[in-house]
This record gives sequence, C-alpha cells and structure tokens, in this order.
Amino acid sequence: MNLDQDPALEAFRTEVAEFLDTAPTDAIREAGRKTTSVFAPFDEVMAWHRILAKKGWAAPGWPVEYGGTGWSVEQRYVYAEEYSKRDLPPLLPNGLQMIGPLLMHLGTDEQKARHLPGILAGDDYWTQGYSEPNSGSDLASLACSAVADGDDYVINGSKIWTTYAHHANRMFMLVRTSTEGKKQAGITFLLLERLDLPGLEIRPIIGLDGVPEQCEVFFRDVRVPQSGRVGAENDGWAVAKALLVHERSGGVASPSLRRKVEAIREAAGRQRTAFGGVLADDPVFQRDLGLIEAEIGSIEHIEKLAISRHPIAADVAFPSMTKVMGTELTQALSVLMTRVAGQRGLPVQTAALEVGSAVPPLDDDLSLVAMPYYLNSRATTIYAGTNEIQRDLIARTIAR
Amino acid sequence: MDLTFSDEQRLLADGVGRFLDTQRDFQARQAQLAAGTTLSPKVWQHLADQGLLALPRAESAGGMGGTIADVVAVAMRFGASLLTEPYLATVILSGAALEAAGTDEAHALLADIASGTAVVSFAHEEDVSGAPASQIGTTAVADGDAYVLNGTKALVLGAAEAHQIVVSARCDSDIALFLVDVTANGVGIDAFRTIDGRGAGRVHLDDVRLPARTLLVPHAEGVLDEIVADAVIYLAAETVGAMDTLLRMTGSYAMTRQQFGVPIGSFQTIAHRLADMKIAVTKAQASLLYVTALREAGRAGPADISLLKAQTGRLGRSVAESAVQTHGGVGMTDELAVGHLLKRILANDALFGDAELHLRLLGAPSRV
Repeated sequence: MNLDQDPALEAFRTEVAEFLDTAPTDAIREAGRKTTSVFAPFDEVMAWHRILAKKGWAAPGWPVEYGGTGWSVEQRYVYAEEYSKRDLPPLLPNGLQMIGPLLMHLGTDEQKARHLPGILAGDDYWTQGYSEPNSGSDLASLACSAVADGDDYVINGSKIWTTYAHHANRMFMLVRTSTEGKKQAGITFLLLERLDLPGLEIRPIIGLDGVPEQCEVFFRDVRVPQSGRVGAENDGWAVAKALLVHERSGGVASPSLRRKVEAIREAAGRQRTAFGGVLADDPVFQRDLGLIEAEIGSIEHIEKLAISRHPIAADVAFPSMTKVMGTELTQALSVLMTRVAGQRGLPVQTAALEVGSAVPPLDDDLSLVAMPYYLNSRATTIYAGTNEIQRDLIARTIAR
Repeated sequence: MDLTFSDEQRLLADGVGRFLDTQRDFQARQAQLAAGTTLSPKVWQHLADQGLLALPRAESAGGMGGTIADVVAVAMRFGASLLTEPYLATVILSGAALEAAGTDEAHALLADIASGTAVVSFAHEEDVSGAPASQIGTTAVADGDAYVLNGTKALVLGAAEAHQIVVSARCDSDIALFLVDVTANGVGIDAFRTIDGRGAGRVHLDDVRLPARTLLVPHAEGVLDEIVADAVIYLAAETVGAMDTLLRMTGSYAMTRQQFGVPIGSFQTIAHRLADMKIAVTKAQASLLYVTALREAGRAGPADISLLKAQTGRLGRSVAESAVQTHGGVGMTDELAVGHLLKRILANDALFGDAELHLRLLGAPSRV
C-alpha cells in the first residue's frame, strides 16, 4: 500500500484553485450557496457551464477527442475537491454525464457531430423522458407510443419527472414502438432536437420544496424525425440500460458532503440549546454528527478505492452500492441540517432563496437552505432507480 | 496511490489462512475450547515458525520488520478463523511496548516471544474502555531502588496464559510501563474467558514490589497512543475478516435454505438485508484499507483511528446481527460459527472504546 501522489498534482491543485477563485460571477456563487438539490438554479448554472466550457473544463470525464480535459482520475478528484470547497453549483448532469457519454458509445457519427458540441458548450439543455405516471421502477412497462409515419415518428402519451423540462431545448426519451413480445423488446430511444413542437405541452410540477424542478410533458400527435433514433427500432432498452450505468456512477460525493458538515459544525457552535450551552457541546448532537463524519469518511475511502482502481470498485454491484450509500448519507446529513436550523427552518423563504433576490434571508444561510435541502433530498433515494431497486441488484451479486 | 495488498502480503495471509482452515477449522476450535485450551501449542508454534510472532517488530529488535499492512492482511484471517490465541496481547500490544523499551532484557523477551516460548499480556485499560492514559488509576511509587504497584486492571487479554504482564501505572506525574512477572508477590489474576473464546483475566496488583529494571518506559503516554492505534487497526482487521465471512455464509445460506418451497433469499426482505450487509462490509473494508495506508505512511491522526473503530464496531454489529437473524433458529446455536463471529465482533467493539464513544469523539469540537 502507499498513498504517494504525483507531486505535479499539487501544482495542478493551485491552478484549479486560482481559476475557481476568480472565474465565477457573484450570481454564480450565490446560486451555489442557494443550491438545495442535485439540480442547481438553471440560468446561473448554465452561465457557469459556458464559462467552464470556454476554459475547456466543462467535461473532465469526457475523452479528449470529444472535448474532455485529458486529466487523470487523480486530477479529476482534485478538481472535484476544489470545486466542492467553494460551494459552486454543480453542472447539470443530463448532458455531460448521461446523453453525452451515451452518444459517444452508441450514437451515429452524425448524431455525435450534431449534438455533442452543444452539450459541451452548455448551449443545449437535455431533459430526460423516461418515467411515466404508470411506469416508475417498472420502467419497461412504459406506454408513450411512437408510430412510424414516413420519415417521422408520431408520439402520443406523457412523460413525468422530466427535470427542468420547462427550461430545456432538447429531450432524450424512451417510447413504445411495439407491443409484441416482451415489454423490453418494444422500446425505442429517441432524441428530440426541439421542444417547441405542435402538440407538445410542458407542465411544471411544484415540488415539496415549493419550486418547479420536475415537469410532466404531454404528447398529442407530436411529429419528430426518425433520424433522432439512437440504435435500432425496438432496441431502446439496451440503449437505456447503457445510460443507467452512466447515471449511477455518480463520481465524487465526499468533498461536497464534507463542505456541508463544516457549515453544520459552524452553525452548531452558535446554536443555543434548551439545556443551556451550545449545540456543538451537546453529547447527543456530537454523537450524531460523529456518525455523519464517520460515514462521509467511509465514502471518501470508497472513492479512493475507486480512483486507485482497487478490485472492490470493480464489483458489478459497486455503482448500486455507492448510489445507496451516497443518497442515504445525503438524507441523514439533511436531517442534521434541519436539526441545527430548528424552528428557523420553518419560515417559507422561497423568494429569499431565488438568486439575485432583493428579499434577504430571515436568519443565516444554513437556516435558509436547510428545509428545502431536506425536502428535495427525499428524491435522491427515489430517482435514478429507487434504492429498493438498487438493493435488488446488489442482492443478486451475493446470494448464489 | 495503491490500496491493495502486495503479493508478499497475500502469500503471507493465504499461508496462515490455509493453515487455520485445515489444521484448526471451526470444529477443531470448538473442541479445543471445550477441552479448556485457549492457547493451542500447535497453532502458536505455527505462528512462531512463520515469523508471525515477530511480524511487526523492527529488524533491530530481532523482528521481521513488517508493516501495519502486513499485520492487517494476517489479522483479517485471524478474525475469519476466530483465533483464540493471545496474538493481540503478546505481539501487537506487549511486543510494541518491549520494542519501545529497547533494553537488552526487553530484546531477550522479544526473542522468546518470537520463538513462541514466552506469552506476555498487556494490562493498561482499567474499568473504562477507551479512556485516555491520563485516567489511569494504578499507581507506581518509588521506594528505594524499587517500585511498589497498586491497582486493578479489569479486563486483561491473555492474562490467563501469560508469563509476564506489561502494566501501565501512574508514576509521579507520568504514566509508565512496567514488566510484571505473574508469580511476583501481590499479583492476583482472576482468570476467565471472554465471550469470544479468548483467555483473559482481572489483574489485581496489591503492593507488588518490583526492581527498578522492570521499568520499561518511564514516559509512556505517547507510546501508549501509538500502541493503542495499532491495536485498533488490528481489531478492525479481525472484525472485517469476520464480517466478510458472515456475508458469504449468509449469502449461501439464503440461497440453500428453503421455506414456502423457495430459497429464502428470493424474498425481498431477505435480499435487501443481504444488500445492506454487503454495503456495510464494503464501507468497513474501505475504511480499514485506507486508514491502514494512512498509518503506514505515518499520517493517521486520532480522528482516523476513531473513525475506523466506530465504523467497524457499528457496521460489524449490524452485519453480524443480520447474519444471525437470516440464519433463524440455527443462527442462535453454539454449533454454528455465525454466533461466534458475532461474539468476536462484539468483543472487538467493546475493547479500546466502543463505536458510540468514538462517534462522539469524532463529533466533539475539541477532538477533530
């Protein structure tokens, strides 16, 4: 064993730190501080995406030929660490981590040339059209249909949990093109190049945190060109499964979780308790904070196993395990945050939470974000394959 | 960065693992304990022959110059095989104290430990597990060219088998380490067995008069911190070895045990419990490997050690209790290794501060 690092990594860290200290605008920093979801405030995060794209840093994980940075795994970890320390809004994952890598693997040359540059540059935002009101965990039961008609498909049905669809100009989606045979065998993967189409209607859904992050999208005889199909007709399930792997391999979580713990610790040093003294000195709080610290530590250690290519990280259950660990820890952390905020977390402060708002927060930043963060994070164990589905997948690798 | 074991470490661990699997499997272990023996001469001699009783000692102290990663690789097998012999007490704890003493006499005793002829136990903690050395109540008072020791050490691993005991005691304003012969006047040992099959005892020191040369380390607080850190890593490795064994046993049981005409592993409740066990094992393994690498690099701080102790303690307990539950009635019996692995994990958690203590240390502002 050894923990030796390439000495050049520290020079790289300095270079990253200098850029991240100077490049973001005040609005982007504010958006980072007010991010209470995986999905940061839209306008600011896309502005930040475009700044990073100009620098060439928008897609550290992409191959160089498509505009990636060519950084080593270790460099990417350092970048993620420095990024998280600064409360910067995380770039939206749909393009960079989902449809982009999918097109690299399964798209035609024309599809790659047509779509990857806009994803990389931050000019396009792709929403994901997978779930339907009656198809969640049993995604393959989806019913939204596409019927071939000349060079087009005609789509009828609806999609739900389409994140930021009301901001999106693109969509990738699964449609039913056949009802013959197994339900998985009649699904096709489609790219929609525009969403301002006749018959397409987008309805934002107000979430528990009071803001529209998710949407429902209705299709009534919506015509789209067949050239947007990825893979063969009725072969979309295999395409979708390939994408799920990209979606679940979340990457680096521990630095941003640590950042949140620092904020909790700091606030607990000020928060008085009914017993007198401050929360930071309360034994029960110390124990619960210690548990979060320990769990973040183990997740960091798991990330270190992954970046050093330890065999444990090659386990087929590894993406599912890290999804479960990361999301359940996020929820536990959000609970601790609401405990520190206490009743200061109760006032609805939706206006103050908007970037550039003239309304000041009633109390400190932690009290402003604690409750929306807690409420929004309930989604983490539901999206990207519920944690129940993940546990099914993990169990299959044990019992034999 | 490399968090894997080297080929040499794997060979070392596989060698001792194979020996234990074949020469001292679970049935043989139970038979040995039933015959009243916690220290098998055959097993101890094998460990001596393989150099394992001198593994972590410096070459200058007659040892193998092994690193903490070498110890961890071996200790995972010890945990999986439920070793009852006093390896922790004699090699990890007492051996380190003797090496720190560095005297000719200490080196001679290390040679006897290495050859398997001497068993030494380590009496440090009193009735509060995980307390800092500053809370030690046992006293050593200088009297002419001798020291007089008084105090009680509640749970001393290896005390039942030991020839000598390394004892920590308050001496003036310092904590010092002494070497006490079990036959010395005033030494009383109430021998017992711990729940996980290890020989141990309560050690009473009642006006024990020791010659000055038995003072091993006069200013021992720093040395004790280092020794305890290694012991925590050793215990964590044993626990992770036991957890991994429990996961494999439970997975295969869930696939073979049939109820309602199907393997019980096909029920989602059982499947999800297995998934949680695998997640827990993966976390514990990751923290064991990373903290071991930190320790080897000289970079493991108190928070890293507390994290490892807390995670292996609580995740270990969770995995072991899940294993018993999944095995059902048979998991409750003395005849199956499952319950004994649970007991080893519980015992390891209780030593040197349990998970709850270390979680609180992690969360306390003064410590991190």
